[in-house]
Order: sequence, then C-alpha cells, then structure tokens
Amino acid sequence: MSKNKKSRKLLEFIRYFVIIFGAFWMILPFFWLFSASLMTPEELLADIPKWLPAKPQWSNYVEVLKRIPLLIYYKNSFIVAGTVTLLVIITSSLAGYSFAKLRFPGRKLLFRFVLSTMMFPVFIFLIPVYYLMKLFGWLDNYLSLIVPFAVSGYGIFLMRQFVMTIPDELLDSARMDGASEFRIYISIILPLLKPVIATLAILTFIGQWNSFLWPLIVTTSAQHLMTLPVGISRLSLAFSTTETQHLILAALVYQVIPMVVVFLYLQRYYIKGFVLSGFGNI
Amino acid sequence: MMRKLIVFLLVVALVLLAFSVFGRTKLIMAVHWSDYQVEGVKDKNGNLIKKGLRQYVEEYMALHPDVEIEIQSVPFDEYLKRILISHTSGEIADIYVLYSLWGVQLVDSGILNAPPKDVVDKVKSDFVKPAVDGVTIDGKIWGVPIEVDNYALVYNKKLLKDAGFDNPPKTWDELVEMAPKLTKRNKDGTISQYGFAFLSGWDSAVVHPYLALLYSNNGKFLKDDFSECLLNSKEAIEALEAELKLFKNGGTDPAASVWNFPAGKIAMMIMAPWYETSLKLGFKDRYEETVGVSPIPYLKKPTTVGYTWFIAVDNASKNKKIAWDFIKWMALNDSNGFTRMGELMAKNIGAIPPKKSDIAYFTGELNDLYTSVFVDELKHTYQEPNVAQGQEIKTILMREIVEAWNGRKTAEKALKDAKKQIDEILAEFY
Amino acid sequence: MKYGSSYRKTTLAGYVFLAPAIFFYSLFFGFPVIFSLIVSTKRWNMLIPLSKARAVGFFHYKYLLNNELFMHSLLNTLMYSLITVSISLTIALILAVLINNAKFSILWRFIYFTPVVTPQVAIGTIWGYLYRPNNGLLNSILKLFGLKPVYWLTDPNVVLFSVMITAIWAGIGGSMLILTAGLKNIPQDYYDAAKIDGAGPFKQFWYITVPLLKPTLLFLTATGMIGAWQVFDLPFIMGRNAPIKSIMTVSWYVYETAFQSLRMGRASAGAFLLFCVIFSVTLIILWIFRRGGIEGYE
Repeated sequence: MSKNKKSRKLLEFIRYFVIIFGAFWMILPFFWLFSASLMTPEELLADIPKWLPAKPQWSNYVEVLKRIPLLIYYKNSFIVAGTVTLLVIITSSLAGYSFAKLRFPGRKLLFRFVLSTMMFPVFIFLIPVYYLMKLFGWLDNYLSLIVPFAVSGYGIFLMRQFVMTIPDELLDSARMDGASEFRIYISIILPLLKPVIATLAILTFIGQWNSFLWPLIVTTSAQHLMTLPVGISRLSLAFSTTETQHLILAALVYQVIPMVVVFLYLQRYYIKGFVLSGFGNI
Repeated sequence: MMRKLIVFLLVVALVLLAFSVFGRTKLIMAVHWSDYQVEGVKDKNGNLIKKGLRQYVEEYMALHPDVEIEIQSVPFDEYLKRILISHTSGEIADIYVLYSLWGVQLVDSGILNAPPKDVVDKVKSDFVKPAVDGVTIDGKIWGVPIEVDNYALVYNKKLLKDAGFDNPPKTWDELVEMAPKLTKRNKDGTISQYGFAFLSGWDSAVVHPYLALLYSNNGKFLKDDFSECLLNSKEAIEALEAELKLFKNGGTDPAASVWNFPAGKIAMMIMAPWYETSLKLGFKDRYEETVGVSPIPYLKKPTTVGYTWFIAVDNASKNKKIAWDFIKWMALNDSNGFTRMGELMAKNIGAIPPKKSDIAYFTGELNDLYTSVFVDELKHTYQEPNVAQGQEIKTILMREIVEAWNGRKTAEKALKDAKKQIDEILAEFY
Repeated sequence: MKYGSSYRKTTLAGYVFLAPAIFFYSLFFGFPVIFSLIVSTKRWNMLIPLSKARAVGFFHYKYLLNNELFMHSLLNTLMYSLITVSISLTIALILAVLINNAKFSILWRFIYFTPVVTPQVAIGTIWGYLYRPNNGLLNSILKLFGLKPVYWLTDPNVVLFSVMITAIWAGIGGSMLILTAGLKNIPQDYYDAAKIDGAGPFKQFWYITVPLLKPTLLFLTATGMIGAWQVFDLPFIMGRNAPIKSIMTVSWYVYETAFQSLRMGRASAGAFLLFCVIFSVTLIILWIFRRGGIEGYE
C-alpha cells in the first residue's frame, strides 16, 4: 500500500515539475513584453535583453495614446474580429455537422475540397481578392475586412471532427421524435460542442485580431477602418525603430490584453462534455 | 418675395458648395514615412516644434483651396507590395515617394509619368550628381530626388584609443591591419569585442559596401549598357578578397552584428546616415567622445556608394499637372533659400537632402559630428546602378558574398556563380 | 419507409447547411485559384496589365523543378514539417493530459497559450538572445558543460533545427487548447471503469485517452502539416543571416519571387506545386488515420 502511495506521490511531483518547468519557458517572451514596454529606448538597446526596467516608464502608455488614435483601432479590431468569429462559428458548425452526420452524395469530395482550400499560400489570394473588393465597392467598408474570412476550412474541419464523436443514437432518437435537422443542430449539437466552439472562437478571434497584411493593404486608402496591428505599425520608423521601440512595445501590450481577456473569459466553456451514463448501452 | 430670394440664394449656395466639393481635385500621396515624420514633432504641451509632411501639405492646401491631398503612409517593408497589389486593380496614388531601384521596374512598365521639361532641367542643375544618377533610368530623368544616402566608416573612438590607435584607418589595408588588434576573445573562442563588423541581413546591407570597395578598386559591377555582369574581373575578385582578409585574420566573423555597436561591442563598422539616432540613444552623454565617422577605407581611390529616394507621378493619374505643381512647390522651388522638402529631410527625418542649395543652407543639421562626413563624402559617392530586377540581382550577389564570408566558397567562385545567375537575368531585359 | 423520407430530409439539410460555405468558396477560392492558374502560365510583373503579359505555358513549372534553390526549399520544408509537427503534437498531448485535471489548470492553460498571443518582436528578442553565439543563453549553458559554442542561426547545419525548436515551442499552446477540448469530451465513466479494473495512469492514457482522441489527433496532424508546409514567418525572420539553401522554405521562395523579383507568374506556379505536395501529404495522413478517424467513428 505505502509503496503505491510513494510512487504516486513521485509521479505527482514529476507531473508538476514538468508543468512548471515548461510554463517558465513558455511565458518568458510574454513577460519580457510587459517588462520591456516600461523601459526607455536606451534600455532596449542593450545587447543582452534586460529583464526589469530601472524605473517603470508608465508614460510610455500615455505617449502611445497621444500619437495614435488607439480607441478607433480598438473599435475597428473588435468589430472585425468579433464579426468574423461569429460568422466562422456559424458556418463551421453548420458545415461540420453536415459533413459529420448527414449523408448525401458527394460528401467525401466536398470535404476534400474544403480541406484543399487551406493548402494555398496566402499571398496568391492577395491580388484577386483585392480585385473582388474593388469590384464590389467594398474597399471603403468593413465588408472587405470581414467577408473574405467568413468561412474557414480549419473551422469546418475542427467542428466535423468533434461532431463525429456525438453518438448517432442521440440524433436518431431526436429524428424519430420528428425533429428537423436544424432543430437538432440548435438543441443538441451546439450545446454539446461548447468546448470546441470556445476553442474555435479563441483561435479565430486571435487570428483576426493579429492580422496585419490584408488589413494594411485594404485600409491604406480607408484610414478610418484601420485595425490595431495596422495602426501600431505607424509607430515604427523605417530605419530608426529604436527611437520608438518603447512606444511600439507599449502599444503591443494594448493589443495583447484583449486577447488575454477573451481567452480567460472563454475558459468557462471548458467543462466536461456530456455524461454517457444516462444513455444506456452503446 | 423675401422667401423666394432666400430660397434662390440657398440653391445658389448649395450649387456652389457642390461645385467646390466636386470641383476639388484630390491627390493621393503615398509615402513610407510614419508617426512624427508625417504628423510633426510636438513638445510636451502639444505645440509643434518640427514640421511634418502633413503641415507642408496643409500649407499647400491653404494656398490652393481647390486641391485636397491625402497622405497614405505604408511601412517601408510593405510599401512595394502595397503598390503592386492595389495597382493591378486600378487603385493608384498620384504621387509616390520611391526608392530608386523600385523606380526602374515602374518605369519599364510605363507606370511613371515623364516629368515636364522644366523639372528635368532643374534636377540636372540643382542636385548633387549621385542623386541625379539616382533618378536617371534608361537615360532619362523620372522624378525629383528627395533623399540621398551613402556609407561611411563609423568607429568607437574610445575602443580605438584603448588599443593605441589615435586615428581611424584610411585605406582598406590599414583597416585589415587594425581590426584583429581591436578584437577581444573569450576563453571559448567566441568574440566578446569585434574589431570590425559588416552590415548584413538584407541585400543593400551586404552589396553596397562591397560595391564601394569594387569601385574604389577601379572595378565595375555591370557594363554600362547592363548587357553583362563584370564580377569575373580581376578588380571584382580583389575587392571581395579584400573583405575576406578580415575574416581570415580574425578581425571579424559572420556572426558579428552591427546592432551591438551602441552597446560598445564593436570597434568599427560601415554604416549609413540613418543610424544616428540609435547611436545618440545608445551612448547618451558619451556620444560625442565615443562616436567617430570617417570615409570608408578604400583600395585605390576614395569611393563610397549611395542610393536615392525620389518623388514621382503616376502615369495613370488624372491630375498630373497639379501633382507636378505640388512637387515643384515642395521639392524644387526655393522659399527663403531652402526647399520645404529639404527642410523636412534635414530637420525632421534627419536625412540628407540632395539639392545643393539645401545642403548649403542646413548647416546646423548637416554639419554635426555624424552627418557631416556623409555629406562631405557625397563628392565621392557613386549611385548604385539603376538596373532592372535590381533587388533580385542584389539578393543573388548578397548570398554569394555571404558564402564567401563563411569560407564555403572562394571569392572567385562566389563571384563567378553570381555572374552566371545575374547574366541570365540581364539577358531577359537588355 | 420512414428511413426513405428522413433520408431525403437529411440529404437536403446536408446541402443547405453547406450552402453558405460552398457559395463563399466559389467566390473567394475558386476565382483566385483560376486566376492564379492563368497567371502561372504567363510572365507577369503585376505592373503591366495581365492581358498584355506574355504567355509561357508550363515554362515556370519546368524552371522551378530544375531550380536548385527551389528544390532545397522543398527539402527544408519537408524536414521542417515532419519534425515540427510530430514533436510539437507529442509534447502538446503529454502536457495537455498532465494539465487537464491538475490544480490551477486554467492558469497553466493560459501560460502555455501565451506564445500564441505574444507578438513577433518579443519572441524574436528572447529567442535571438537564446541563440546568440557570444554569451547567448544556450551557449552559456553549453559552456557550463564544457561544450563548444554553437552558431545557432548562422551555421547551415544547425539553423533549420534552431528555427524548428522555436516553432515547436510556439505551436504547443494552440495544439494544447484543442486537445483540452478533446479531452473534455471523453466521458469520465471510461476512466472510472478502468480504475476499478486496476489500470494505472499509463494504461489509461494508452488505451482510453489516445484512441478516443483520434479525431482530434487527426485534425491536429493534418492541419499541422498543412500549416507547416506553408511556413514563412519564422524562417524568414530568424534565418536571414544564414546561407539561404539551408533555411529557405517554399513559401519564402514564392514570396520573394513575387514581391522582390516581381515574377508573379513563377510565384504562382510555385504555389501550385506547393499545393500539389500538400494535397498529397494530406491524403497520406488521411489514409494513415483511416481506421477510427474519417469514415465512421468507433
């Protein structure tokens, strides 16, 4: 008995040691970001990164607000990232359910097609999609920042994998009770997918929040639509970034915090999934 | 009766208003500057102490109420990409600030508008030679130069004194001799202080200093008509071997990074005018006593290499005349002895204006410890060749030079391989 | 009989639910792909009108397949994706399991996720310091053990591995998040039953966790591979001082060809070649996972 207890305690120790050791290496750059955002430009020129500022320069955060219209960038980034996330969740869960549980001719082929949309390097799409935006007259509009990202093969694939784990019996009994597919989708599928939806929401939101090249190309002529990464890039001076590096880092902290908030908020959905015991033999 | 009159006047006013809005010409100006370069430098209370581009633009708009100029600022790294992507869909700017090599591609594709004769004549007469060469593509002038850059030797006076050197090296041989004496090593063989560091990491960084050496050795990079690459010449090989001497005798190694200079870890490096602010920040009150600048050590004759930024007009612009008018007002015509663009360059951006009268006027900014040497060296500056596919060609050369630096190829082989690839590209265009 | 009508219903629903996605893709995927296919048969610098660009047929494809740098890029990307995906996924799986029911699990999940939200400049600074040859962190540790310093980012034999290590580090957080969702999906009953049968943590992991995670693992392997084959940012930023043949990836080659050499035709051809490779690799992965991953779930 005591031998078992000892070996279990050892395993537990190793477990937490590994977790903590890994955590240290994971958070290092993240920590440095916050610390460096409080440094002076001189401190940032040191060849070995300093870990703590000599005197925290809270003024950096104030200075950033003076130089760029941060609130406008926040608004635009929230609108774009939020809307895209919503659209992606809807389209991915619908399509994911379709691919996972509904049978129709061409299903395999269509799925392979959706997968293949992820296999092209992004730059290839820049010119043609920009052209479409110009054609539709969306260049002056949130639409050009949102619509090209409304559907995500990644999201469809993810949803499909998780919907597949839902037992068919559950769905069949609902069908026999006369429920329409859409009803099943809303009442059964979605609630069971809470952790996945949260995951997809986090990843999509972050991807859109940090997106730089496309918004830059599109909003150069529509400056009122600029998102955070584009706006912050106005603080970097081509060959003398050292001058504004401290401000850029502070601005990046402004950019990072909402993502942290979104991540922590969505953790409430990481709960144990459905419990099978109430559904008899499988 | 009164009511009818008022309505009539209102209608007239509305029509005039509509006309003024529709009658207004809109110019879009694309630049790679940002932050205070565009918005101006303000003091703690928000008062303007240095004008940015926007202030000049507003001045012009006040003088010409029917013209509206929108500034579109794109970071340097994304600048060319943005032009390429939006241009294919017809979204163009009227005025561009361009790096000279990008200009070649634009000219060859008919994108740029040939400047009016009076502009061309003034460029030829009023600007320093490297800048004029910078805006000359296929024999014609395509814009007004607004910034000229070149390279010089920047050294740490204190580190040199500590090793017993009162003066920086004048010739390349002197540099080769001094560098190992300024290098300090750790016990494990890695270097703790570099005698010399080469600029590296992008094409111009590696290629420009090499070209300076090549030209100072009386060599040529390409034939004048760009039909052939001349890197297989004796002069070219000697120039690269001169660089390699520093690697072989321990004066530097491929891991050296010039960005460690402000931390006092580099004794000498080749650098451009835009590094001044970082040096001032890094050395603070020890700046004056530590930083020294002198002409690039040469092989046979004093030479350095330069590149240019210029301002031009898009051929598809619907407002070409007004665009050139603005450019003349901004960058060509003297107002009180200097051009506004020259003032923006010298006072705000901290770059060297290429107009001779501006150089003479802004002595305060240009005659300081750092910049004065670069300005003085303009007389020895050769503009990099305005050849098609310039960046592709320079990237090829850069990679071959780096192979030689790492001892993986001899100077001769590296240049031979570069020549082969470059000749293939030249054959496509010339 | 009742299956007949419900079959029709599910078929219809199948198409209807897919409709928005398919419509979207025909516009935002179909058009660009056809456009790029056409461009790949022309010589186009993006400045002259496409209609005036000279047609060159399959010239670009032939050029690329005979180009040393392009082939090296393919090789580098192959090594990169195989090693990065397998190691990153394995580590993420182990960590996700360790953290799943641990104390303060939300805190750990957050910390492991931070690389995903950390801006490039911070990652570059810290890893640049780790990899610096003269008194960088890693070399200082090597010195403690009496080993010679390694030139992590300039030595051609090492640079790809250095970038891979950073990539693995950066990718663990995202994979862990998805694995956590997958783990939450496994009913506790299975574990309870196994414990009663006397199975220890390793047996539970191997016989319950891993098989029930198959759909998630397939997803991570496939998307990991698809993403790794398109890698651009990390090698581009970290590898600029290394000899190009040892570090260039296919995406980097395509990007440089398009926006620095202004050869959009050749770049498009490169993108299509890359697509063919990724498609084949994905088919292989789907085949490997075929039992229990794709068609039917047991």
